[in-house]
Amino acid sequence: MTDPNPVFDAVLGELTDRQREHVEAAYALLEHSREPVHRQELPALREPTSRDGLERLLRRTGRVLVQVDDLRFTTGYDDAVAEELTARGWQPLSAVERAVLVLVLVYSVAIPRSEERLGQDSWTSTYPATEQDILRAGKVPPVAARAALSKLVSAGVLRRVRGGDTDGGYVPGPQLLRLTPAARARLQDQLILAAAPDHPLAAAIRRRRDSTSKENNR
Amino acid sequence: MNERDTALWWAKARSGGPQQVSAGTATPAGMRRLIESDARSVWFLPAVPSAAGPQVLAEYGQPASTWPDTAGTLRVFAACLRCCWPDPGTDPWPGRPAELAHVDWVLELLHPARDRISRQRLLTAGLRRLETARWVLPASGTVRLGPRVAMWGPLELSTVRELWRLIPDPAADERREQP
Repeated sequence: MTDPNPVFDAVLGELTDRQREHVEAAYALLEHSREPVHRQELPALREPTSRDGLERLLRRTGRVLVQVDDLRFTTGYDDAVAEELTARGWQPLSAVERAVLVLVLVYSVAIPRSEERLGQDSWTSTYPATEQDILRAGKVPPVAARAALSKLVSAGVLRRVRGGDTDGGYVPGPQLLRLTPAARARLQDQLILAAAPDHPLAAAIRRRRDSTSKENNR
Repeated sequence: MNERDTALWWAKARSGGPQQVSAGTATPAGMRRLIESDARSVWFLPAVPSAAGPQVLAEYGQPASTWPDTAGTLRVFAACLRCCWPDPGTDPWPGRPAELAHVDWVLELLHPARDRISRQRLLTAGLRRLETARWVLPASGTVRLGPRVAMWGPLELSTVRELWRLIPDPAADERREQP
């Protein structure tokens, strides 16, 4: 595993040993940690040359730096890379997994948000979607739905909360914090279209998408 | 291959695990190329330097992305490792295919409290979970180790070898008794 890596070497070759060490450590923490990383742990962000090196390294591997709040950072997919892969039909989740994910997001995020119990751009939730919500309200066969839930939890896309008698269920997992601002906006639009297709907001989203796609075709 | 295509391959491997392609495909920069035993296809895996790998998390006191064994998945993996990797002196990849009946036999010793039906269920679910991340590659009636085992560094490998010795294998014991 200590073989030379041309991607890392091309970016990090120009840095001093200390800068290189900081950038590699930041890459490791941001890319492999389940939760966002406090900026105290990331000396590479405090110094412009290292920060630039880190961002270039991430971009070469299809990733970008994402600021979660004032103090914490993580990494996510580069929007351009995600768009290109999607356009080519790349989809690592199965249809059932996506359906289950949407159900959990509708119950744990979209509904509380529409009742103003959650902030507009918040992708953490204290309102779990219960197993009942997912199994009864959805049209996904229970055995397949349970398998999908367990996969999404182990991937960190969902988190399982065990509450008292009624509060147990599923909420968005730490991986959703890796979404870039553009990806969050897209997901928010998709949730409105899925949960309330007849709502005026959904009509506005469709109009906006229509006009941007026309502009792009011009 | 240009920088854009390289970034796309890295993103594919991150979201979908190691990627299997036909042997003629050029290797993206910074990725390892693992040749399948039939030499017709190869796997691409990211070759992150160890100073930027997941092992750094421990140095910074960050919790590693561990895998809780509540569902017994790790025991299923241990059984596969024991059966598909007969000689721990060699590299685990590509190993050799093992009969599921053999894996089940080892699993029985690792999970003595389970009856046959619940063990069968555990084996099926465990293999499915392990296959998602390409730790194992199940086929009909057999299983072999997946390309992800080739990502272990020397330190991890020596730990895995120690663990391997703790996993019982009734078939190997039997062979020893009947020389």
